[in-house]
Amino acid sequence: MENPQKFSPEKITSDLLPQPFGRRGKLWTAALLLVALIGAFAYIQQLRKGLVVTNMGDYVSWGIYISNFVFFVAISLVGSLITAIFRLADVPWRTPLTRISEIIAVSAITFAALIIIVDMGRPERMLYLFLHGRLQSPIMWDVIVISTYFCTSLLLLYITLLPDIKIMIAAREKLGTPFAKFYRWLGSFWKGTEAQEKIRNRSITLICITIIPVAFCIHTVTSWLFATTYRPGWDSTNFGAYFVSGAFLVGAGGVVVAMYVFRRVYKLEHYITERHFDKMGKILVMLALLYLYFNVNEYLVPAFKMKKDEEAHLRGLFTGEFAPLFWFAILVGMIIPIFILVFPKGRKPNAMFAAGVMVVVGAWFKRYLIVTPTLLHPFLPKFDAPARYSHYFPSWEEWAITAGSLAGVLLIITFFARVFPIISIYKTITDHDTELPS
Amino acid sequence: MTLNYHHKLCFLVSFFSVIAINCVIAQDSAAPVTTMSVRYFLPVNKVPYVEVNTKKKVGRKFEPVMSIPVSIYLNEATPANLLGKVITGANGLAKVAIPATFKSTWDSLGEIKFIAESDSISGQPALSGDVTIKKAILVIDSASADGVRAVTAQLKEKKGNEWVAVKDIEMKLGVKRMLGNLTVGEAETYTADSTGIASAEFKRDSLAGDKNGNLVLVAQVEDNDTYGNLIVEKAVPWGKSVQPDTHFWHRSLWSTGNRVPVWLLLLAVSIIAGVWGMIIYLVRQVIKIKKMGKEFDRGLTT
Repeated sequence: MENPQKFSPEKITSDLLPQPFGRRGKLWTAALLLVALIGAFAYIQQLRKGLVVTNMGDYVSWGIYISNFVFFVAISLVGSLITAIFRLADVPWRTPLTRISEIIAVSAITFAALIIIVDMGRPERMLYLFLHGRLQSPIMWDVIVISTYFCTSLLLLYITLLPDIKIMIAAREKLGTPFAKFYRWLGSFWKGTEAQEKIRNRSITLICITIIPVAFCIHTVTSWLFATTYRPGWDSTNFGAYFVSGAFLVGAGGVVVAMYVFRRVYKLEHYITERHFDKMGKILVMLALLYLYFNVNEYLVPAFKMKKDEEAHLRGLFTGEFAPLFWFAILVGMIIPIFILVFPKGRKPNAMFAAGVMVVVGAWFKRYLIVTPTLLHPFLPKFDAPARYSHYFPSWEEWAITAGSLAGVLLIITFFARVFPIISIYKTITDHDTELPS
Repeated sequence: MTLNYHHKLCFLVSFFSVIAINCVIAQDSAAPVTTMSVRYFLPVNKVPYVEVNTKKKVGRKFEPVMSIPVSIYLNEATPANLLGKVITGANGLAKVAIPATFKSTWDSLGEIKFIAESDSISGQPALSGDVTIKKAILVIDSASADGVRAVTAQLKEKKGNEWVAVKDIEMKLGVKRMLGNLTVGEAETYTADSTGIASAEFKRDSLAGDKNGNLVLVAQVEDNDTYGNLIVEKAVPWGKSVQPDTHFWHRSLWSTGNRVPVWLLLLAVSIIAGVWGMIIYLVRQVIKIKKMGKEFDRGLTT
């Protein structure tokens, strides 16, 4: 395996500059656009007819949209893990992973905000939240913290991009003209002077310090949307830590999947090396164990007591209607990845990719299991409710909008990778320079 | 074979049971007939009104019949005597107040007949009902002597130009509570004596009143065949003074947005200000970098 540190700056620049889509890239983008358009069509249907097109009702008033929202918020947390925590801890191998995690964070938090508006049914009423919002409501905290996290993540992405924009402006001949104006508009002022560099470095450190508590807040507040509601499965003091640990896990899983895909597609084997997979594998197994620990706390303690009011909910998860999904989420989302990643061979790229996909898919279903079964088992007995209220399966509009939002996240990442380097060129060259004396 | 006593008893019980069941079934299976009844009300400090009730017997219970158009007349079913036209609601009830235009007729009469009529409408035969009442007023009074509190009430009917107390009238004497009237003593109803006065000792000590300790006494003649329904009230300072709970307007976690608790407000505002202050500072740093870039272009800095 060739070490990227041995490459010249020209070679690094040439390898890492954004590349036009190939045939596979175009097909991938077209497929994502198609799914996103179907989602947009379904949303127009929902706007025209109202939330009646969904299968949500009096009991399951938060369905697949909110599950998806929690998933997006969770995966967005990775921006703070890889960039901020790794930077402050001075993790030396972080460079190839930071921008991937930053763009995952920005795209996921964008769609987390949008999916909440979708769930509202009447988007124009979002304005009421600001006109008549109550600071006492966790929903209000969530709106504030999501917009704050979005702005902070965007700033982090932008400020770290500045030196690369200068490189891309300089490489206009190689890149062609499609985005030249855009690059100039974004960062032609970046000259890389000592004074500018000093301010940039200080700014990145400040954002990293700021973004960690904001990131913790965003997912803790999201957990409080549930935990401050008196319902079986949600009435838990464990929820904040449980959500944050789960978010780190799915975020790290998402980064592993993205690392693998970008490495393969852009042939970045010399930059995203097996060493990076090995390190991320160790982090992933630690996070999976941590999340498993919180899951044990979350389910085993109430199951041990098996209070009457919680019984139907817990039995539904362990042996009932949701058991296949529940055990799938636990096994595929945590236990199997742990067994794969705990061995050095399991931390090779292919096995890591499989484990990463398992973690992400398992995490999505885990969010669905947090939201829906609880709503189907309220504390107060159901009275005079139609039989269909006792079950929930999303309508095609709900599936289409959800799939459209997932496609939207991937589209943002895809377009970003087309326009900007997915690994920081400047930082890779700088790392190379600082490595030279040793 | 001769039947002993027990066999005979069993036979008789079975025979009458079958007859009874048949009667019930026959009664239940008969087509329900809608009936109309009329009641007169003289509420306290309000205009007297007439209430029409349309209902039918379905199975073994009465169900209201809604959307029946009814015309209500005074004394005679002629257009000149029409008090009003109403339509029964979901509870089968409709009411009409005596219009001010009938004041002179009303004042001149001692006995009044209210007639309610409904024309035949789709599948529903014509209905009618009436009630005749003698005009009366109900008077309530209170007295307190030697620690004993008494409530008295008197029903007076109009005879010529005089209001004369009516004897042997049954009425309820109560104290108004949130969901109904509580009897002032132990008896459910009280009957007027030979002088026309119904009286009761007030035994409800320590009842919560308003902020001045006022309770509202209520005297009520209910569904009387001759006089209809009359209600009268009087406020007395016999209750316990209760200051209204004003916590609703306090700052709390469950109040409206403009009454957020101060601690939460300070906490949230300081966190938001801290984080957004940092974001604004960082945006300013970007602007500063931009300015430096422009100065570099002009050769002002290196």
